[in-house]
Amino acid sequence: MTKNLKWIVYTAALVPLLCLGQTPAAPGQAEPESISQVELKGKVPVNPETLRVKLPRPQEAVLSNGLRVYLLEDRKLPTFAMYFVVKGGGLADPPDKRGVAMVTASLLREGTKERTSREIAEQLATLGSSMSASASPSSGESGISVSGLSDNLDATLAIVADVLRHPTFPQTELDKFKARFASQLQYQRSLPGFIAQEQFLSAIYGEHPGSLIVPPEDAIAALTSKDLAAYHARIYRPNNTFLLAHGDVSLKDLTAKLERALGGWEKGAIPDTKLPDLSPPTKARVFIVDRPGSVQTSLRIGALGIERKSEDYFAMVVTNHILGGGPASRLFMNLREDKGYTYGASSTFTGSTFPGFVAAVTDVRTEVTEGAMRELMKELERLAKEPVGKSELENAKRALVGRFALSLDSPQALLSNLATQKIYGFPDDYWDTYPQHIDAITAKDIQRVAQKYYAPDRLQFVAVGDAGAVREILEQYGTVASPSGSKE
Amino acid sequence: MPRTLAAFALLSLSLCCGSASAAPDRVEFTETTLKNGLRVQLAPDSTAPVIALHIAYDVGSKDERKGLTGFAHLFEHMMFKGSENVGDGEHFYQIFTSGGVMNGTTSPDMTNYYETLPANQLEMALFLEADRMRSLEITQEKLDNQRHAVQEERRLRIDNQPYGRSFERLGELLYDNFAYKHSTIGSMEDLNAASIEDVDEFFKTYYAPNNAVLSLVGDFEPDEAMRLIRKYFEPIPRQPEPPRVDLKEPQQTAERRETISDPLARLPHAFIVYKTVPGNTPDQYALEVLGSVLFGGDSSRLYQKLNKELELVAGIGGFVDERIGTGSLRISATMRPGREIKDMEAALYEEIERIQREPIAAWELEKAKNSTRYGYYSAIRGTQSRAMLLGAFTIKFNDPNLINTRMQKVEAVTAADVQRVARQYLRERNRTVLITMPAAAATAGL
Repeated sequence: MTKNLKWIVYTAALVPLLCLGQTPAAPGQAEPESISQVELKGKVPVNPETLRVKLPRPQEAVLSNGLRVYLLEDRKLPTFAMYFVVKGGGLADPPDKRGVAMVTASLLREGTKERTSREIAEQLATLGSSMSASASPSSGESGISVSGLSDNLDATLAIVADVLRHPTFPQTELDKFKARFASQLQYQRSLPGFIAQEQFLSAIYGEHPGSLIVPPEDAIAALTSKDLAAYHARIYRPNNTFLLAHGDVSLKDLTAKLERALGGWEKGAIPDTKLPDLSPPTKARVFIVDRPGSVQTSLRIGALGIERKSEDYFAMVVTNHILGGGPASRLFMNLREDKGYTYGASSTFTGSTFPGFVAAVTDVRTEVTEGAMRELMKELERLAKEPVGKSELENAKRALVGRFALSLDSPQALLSNLATQKIYGFPDDYWDTYPQHIDAITAKDIQRVAQKYYAPDRLQFVAVGDAGAVREILEQYGTVASPSGSKE
Repeated sequence: MPRTLAAFALLSLSLCCGSASAAPDRVEFTETTLKNGLRVQLAPDSTAPVIALHIAYDVGSKDERKGLTGFAHLFEHMMFKGSENVGDGEHFYQIFTSGGVMNGTTSPDMTNYYETLPANQLEMALFLEADRMRSLEITQEKLDNQRHAVQEERRLRIDNQPYGRSFERLGELLYDNFAYKHSTIGSMEDLNAASIEDVDEFFKTYYAPNNAVLSLVGDFEPDEAMRLIRKYFEPIPRQPEPPRVDLKEPQQTAERRETISDPLARLPHAFIVYKTVPGNTPDQYALEVLGSVLFGGDSSRLYQKLNKELELVAGIGGFVDERIGTGSLRISATMRPGREIKDMEAALYEEIERIQREPIAAWELEKAKNSTRYGYYSAIRGTQSRAMLLGAFTIKFNDPNLINTRMQKVEAVTAADVQRVARQYLRERNRTVLITMPAAAATAGL
């Protein structure tokens, strides 16, 4: 769409650059704390009680064609939001057709039997409705998100149904998409964060699709309209999809409207998705990307992490929170508040049906790269060697459980939690029991998880910046390897 | 006693386009002014167990003097470094530990601080904000530390990003009045020059209760909240009225045009910007509709013509910048490889002339109004953004009830209004064009 430069607002705290939505989803900016460099004066009237809340359970229905519907009814404002989750994202791409899920999703709105691309855009806009579809090359799902005014729900659903069921993937639109995509990629590849993330994922995942933020350009270039139609026919089926909805509508009305709009959508055989093999790196490696003109070094340090259903999940949530979950975490307090090396330092982890990654992330001015690396490594080592103190641990848990209250103020957070529960097949009381799982984490668990996933001999180091100035500094942390796409 | 605005608010409801739904779609609030001049706005809402506190100060980078650019923002960072009863870093710590979120932002017109917390932490939120309004602790060490953080922020957002410098240069080229001419992030030299005395003086001048607006939204009991607000904020002494900067911008008489080179950019880029009007004026609302027609989403004229049809740009977008003083309508276009800026400009100006010549289509007007309605509902849904809107409308336009009346101001715009503002403001002599070309360093590797 109108991807473009963002207008800038200056803020006190940086939203982590790799905001990849750890659960529980909470609205707003960053989160956490640490006790290391904080000066507590003991005067602030803190309510010691954590407000325990219950997340709303959705109402459920199944359409005649097998489409499951989960609704969070909310009459506060006359709007609605819907999120169709189609199983099979980029992970369902045939290996010789990488990118087909992404391009199919991107082309859904570019023409149907009834409507041209332009008509779809204009009709939705006239209603004040939005519809977007996406599937990243490493995702297990394609997502279609729709929102608008509840008065216009019927009219919007008529267009959505047409787009979901009868896309024609016109060749001219596909050609236009390819050209648009290639030029946007040029812009993205001038951004240090994007370059660093591409390099980091490639270091962790090698040939596995987890390595891709965007599909390879040659793979996209080779895709045909037929490929998209075939993928669509196979994956976009009501019994392979579920719908999360929120807003100003009853389940009865919504179901009736959906039956009208989507009742004729035919079931299909649900395809099996076989996950590709994963062979993670076996030694510490260093990737240095020279970016002429850089005044900062963009650093990503991390390794292969866990699946979403891993038994280490809750320990990882707490560990990550303490290490670099936000403006009071160890990394932030040390690298920014104590040393003044950076505007932000954080850590993150991901995980889905295949193992995600763990990463510490910061951008520092070139001259302090050495000090920043030393402090980053010191913090990783400290987490593995020393048990987390009692109050630091208790406060981390308070923060993680306390955030649930805020999710009740954010339909997006509630829908995101619901999506996680449904995608991974967690029980209906998953979010109710979440606090208990967090409470059960011990200092030993954190140490174990830190030792296991941030082990120095499995770390991958990525530095984007002035290669000449930082090469010697980075070399001591691992074997220097050639960055992928280093022809540039 | 609180002066209620609810009665006034109800009056304007009759003007509103009735939605068929019974859902309430307005924000009820009360306003009280404390003895020390602090304006307090309360908007109780118990639908979620959350409170949002927002303190807006009537100071921004527009108030900075020459030699001290970037100071308002640097000062904002100092507000997190401790006060008499709150330690260095404790503000972050207590809020996040309680499951809350917070931040502070600085813009040309305003500086704001906000936190959203579970509702049982209301007293903590009020205590934290009051303590730093009353007794900020300023030391050389803290200043030096945050100077570094801000300089890193500048590197991260400007110096190390493609087109980063273009944002800054655009302001310098567009405005004559120093208030808006310089960037909010400021220059490295000025940041280095900021002294502890400057911090002290800035605090005394601008961080006074009579120069601030407190907005509290969410799940609280109004009498109890008011009692706590009085307890913590009322003892803070009033200060002399701060000086107000003159925002008057001279009429532009000829197009301004400049080309800069950027070693971090890979694709040519252009800002095409038209100076407009001060915010919250009738023309502003017509300009918002004009913006929706030109660059609102993928149904917009510029996307359809310049990106989709002619394939000149990799991205095109825009923004109607509303300020206390003179604002602008800004278009930002990133070129596709091998395409010429001059062809993009020609196509763009043709689209603008078309809007000046022929009225916009009925669907385009409907689109603008419906998307404004949807955007309005999204903006008032969350407690934090509701608090932010109340505070910002008060600081910028002295009218918190704009939260309820703005939608109608857009509803009132006609196709003729859009044509009129297009003719009046989108003229060559009112235009500033800043072109950024990739410098050799970055293109060599392609």
